[in-house]
Amino acid sequence: MEVTFILNHIKVTYNVRPDEYLAESLREHGILSVRVGCDESTCGSCTVLIDEKPAMSCSVLTAQVEGKHVTTVEDIQDEANLIADYFSDEGADQCGFCLVGFALVIHALCREYEDPTDEEIKNYLVGNLCRCSGYNAQFIAVKKYLAEVKKHVKK
Amino acid sequence: MRAKNFYRALSLDDAYQKLLENPKNSIIAGGLWIKKMGQSYETLIDISQLKLDQINEDNDFIYIGSMVTLRDFETSPIVNNFCDGIPAFGIREVMGVNFRNIATIGGSIFGRYPFSDVISALLPFDVTLSFYPEQSMSLEEYLHYKGKIQGILVAIKIKKEKAKGFYKKVKTTALDFPLINIAVCKRNDKYYISVGSRPMVAALAYKAMEEADAGLDFKQVAKTAVEEYAFADSFSISKNYRKEIAEVYIRRGLEEVSK
Repeated sequence: MEVTFILNHIKVTYNVRPDEYLAESLREHGILSVRVGCDESTCGSCTVLIDEKPAMSCSVLTAQVEGKHVTTVEDIQDEANLIADYFSDEGADQCGFCLVGFALVIHALCREYEDPTDEEIKNYLVGNLCRCSGYNAQFIAVKKYLAEVKKHVKK
Repeated sequence: MRAKNFYRALSLDDAYQKLLENPKNSIIAGGLWIKKMGQSYETLIDISQLKLDQINEDNDFIYIGSMVTLRDFETSPIVNNFCDGIPAFGIREVMGVNFRNIATIGGSIFGRYPFSDVISALLPFDVTLSFYPEQSMSLEEYLHYKGKIQGILVAIKIKKEKAKGFYKKVKTTALDFPLINIAVCKRNDKYYISVGSRPMVAALAYKAMEEADAGLDFKQVAKTAVEEYAFADSFSISKNYRKEIAEVYIRRGLEEVSK
């Protein structure tokens, strides 16, 4: 079946199986930033934005995104690089497998909350797992990144 | 999961007719549990274009479309203004945001899942489910309904009443299924106690509720509530442990809502 949607601002039409998941379709079309970790709606590595909201692409059928806007990390490269720098500075990143999912979720967090509390940050990021590091360093990195973003918004 | 076809329904009747065509056809809501179940379907019927993703209210009720995502439910000002947002509490800690943006209220209720935080959190309230074609029943009736409803869950209606609520879930890790879900509410001067614990679906503890209404000591009421509910062992936790912690949180819940 054909599914047409907007991928990173470009209209695309994919020919997919009715039971094909979005992560698989995107990877087959060369979007290799979408990483499938657990493949059972838990780890968050495959996160993309669907209509600006983070969603696990391993668990959304491609057919379900007909007409929707899908954003992968390719569309927020500068922001993702900056987030990666903050993670790196705090030693919050080792293998980097989970980072793409984190970057997209942090991107969404910044747009949904003007000044998130610690609890809101943790609640927002809980669906992204990292097997390498502890979460404290990531939490500190996110806090510092958010403070930087806030500074720029104020300017 | 395998599906031969994916059908975008144009109307509720269109979806319903498609559903009747083949016993292996199924409505797809968020689709998360369908994936986990690993079953084969002839046709998955998509109802996401039917405007069932709205939350509205009037003076008496809150109306929640069955395709409202858990995230939209938990962040809805309408839901959060009702009973201190207690119905949303059960949902706030279901997996991560990237999961809750997919999972729907309708999907979470229709499956009558024993681990459902949504069902446990809504059960103490006056909640009515509307199905297509014309059928409606209370959430509790639906939980006890024998067999599968051959219809489409369209909306969830919560009666707006002055109520005080308490919700607590216990789980071993942030992304695990809850070991227990406890929701307690006091509305119209009556107590409602809902207990949810795998592998059983959530239920109201009627005898305990009567005792609470009669003014019995909350310690005793909590003891009665856990005796009423059929807790069970699982590979991760014993029945007795579930009972012990449920009793504590039921008592705390009663104390909280009675203030």
